[in-house]
Amino acid sequence: MADDEAARLERAVQGDTQAFRQLIDAHVDRLYRVCVRVAGDAGLAEDALQEAFLNAYRHLGTFDGRSAFSTWLHRIAVNAALEQLRRRSRHEVLQSDSDEDDVLAVSEAAPGPERHAASAQIGRGIQAVLARMSATERTAFVLRHHEGQSLEDISATLSLNVNACKQAIFRAVRKLRAAIEPAG
Amino acid sequence: MPPISDEDLILYYYDDGLDPAERAAIAGALSGSPELRARLAALEAVLAAADAAPPPTPDPGLRDRLWLRLEPQLRAEAVPARHPPRAARRTHSAARPRRLAAWSAAALLALAVGVGFIAGRHSAPEVDAQVQARADAAALRVLEAYVAAHLRSTEGVLLTAGNGGEAGMLDGNRALAASLVESNRLYARAAERAGDAALADFLRRLEPVLLSLANQTPAATVESDEGLRDYLRETDLLFQVRALQTRLDHSRVQRL
Repeated sequence: MADDEAARLERAVQGDTQAFRQLIDAHVDRLYRVCVRVAGDAGLAEDALQEAFLNAYRHLGTFDGRSAFSTWLHRIAVNAALEQLRRRSRHEVLQSDSDEDDVLAVSEAAPGPERHAASAQIGRGIQAVLARMSATERTAFVLRHHEGQSLEDISATLSLNVNACKQAIFRAVRKLRAAIEPAG
Repeated sequence: MPPISDEDLILYYYDDGLDPAERAAIAGALSGSPELRARLAALEAVLAAADAAPPPTPDPGLRDRLWLRLEPQLRAEAVPARHPPRAARRTHSAARPRRLAAWSAAALLALAVGVGFIAGRHSAPEVDAQVQARADAAALRVLEAYVAAHLRSTEGVLLTAGNGGEAGMLDGNRALAASLVESNRLYARAAERAGDAALADFLRRLEPVLLSLANQTPAATVESDEGLRDYLRETDLLFQVRALQTRLDHSRVQRL
């Protein structure tokens, strides 16, 4: 741990909220990205971050330095994003198929000047496919693919064993593939 | 080496979850097979498409907005105390005595909630409406607390079943599932009496799963285990159980 991070941590544990702000500020962008990808929604991600930082502050005293502070905070944020999803799940409205259809349309489109727009269209389609995955599949995929976490770390975050974690990623990739590759 | 599956290629792509010998075997097969290289290239194209969407970026006001909401909450908190590392999680055996009492607790609760609601609905007109509303809310709060605890036990059973494990642990899991079946039924009835149709419906849908888990023979086939895991995955039942726990906890706090 960097010396200044350790010093801020020590001050934050003593109740120095400005030191805590400095501690978390360095991580906001990365944590926001993962929360949006897990929760699939910017508003939920912001609520998740808020909750994650509050939880982190409450439990600063339990941080024992065995993992990096960023890793500890990352896990709290992912769980907060999952928690937001759980709260919302009973009221969740599924997206229409139209975005997912974009992926199919673009996968057959000719290359050319529309390529940039097509890429954005694929991006929207991918988001729609991700939104249709189960929370476990999406989170496992996001943590492995976008966050570069190991299967072992992902299984610890999701309270799954490594094999169940692999299966979740396999299913996520199959779903992406089914949406992207033309049938046949 | 057996034929290389798409799953093997996914692990190869991420360089994770394969032992060195498996990885070397796949690398060797790739160098000698154009068809396998084409399969890997197709997979890479799919995974590259997952990067097509630009990464979410926070708007410039996010940090200030977060801090504005966070700071008063931090000030309201006591200074974060130093704690020893959290104690090891509760084991099945440690939890067992409490779970053995689950059925009787459920029965008493179902009776209490049932009597409370029925008495309320059929009481004499002189019963004050506000008093009755408070009694109803209290009964609901109690029901929600018990069902949330029941769902936590159910979550543990589903997690163990979904993850598989050694025979001894699965035996314990079957016994635990069996102990939850009857209380699940009673909570469903209590929820219906309390007018929470959604909760009653969810608990009824949970019953066949608990029954299947309770009735699995120790020599259950790999296929039947897989079938159960597939069902848990397809229905995302574990997630739903956790979501319902959260809803009950949240609702209970609001009613306080």
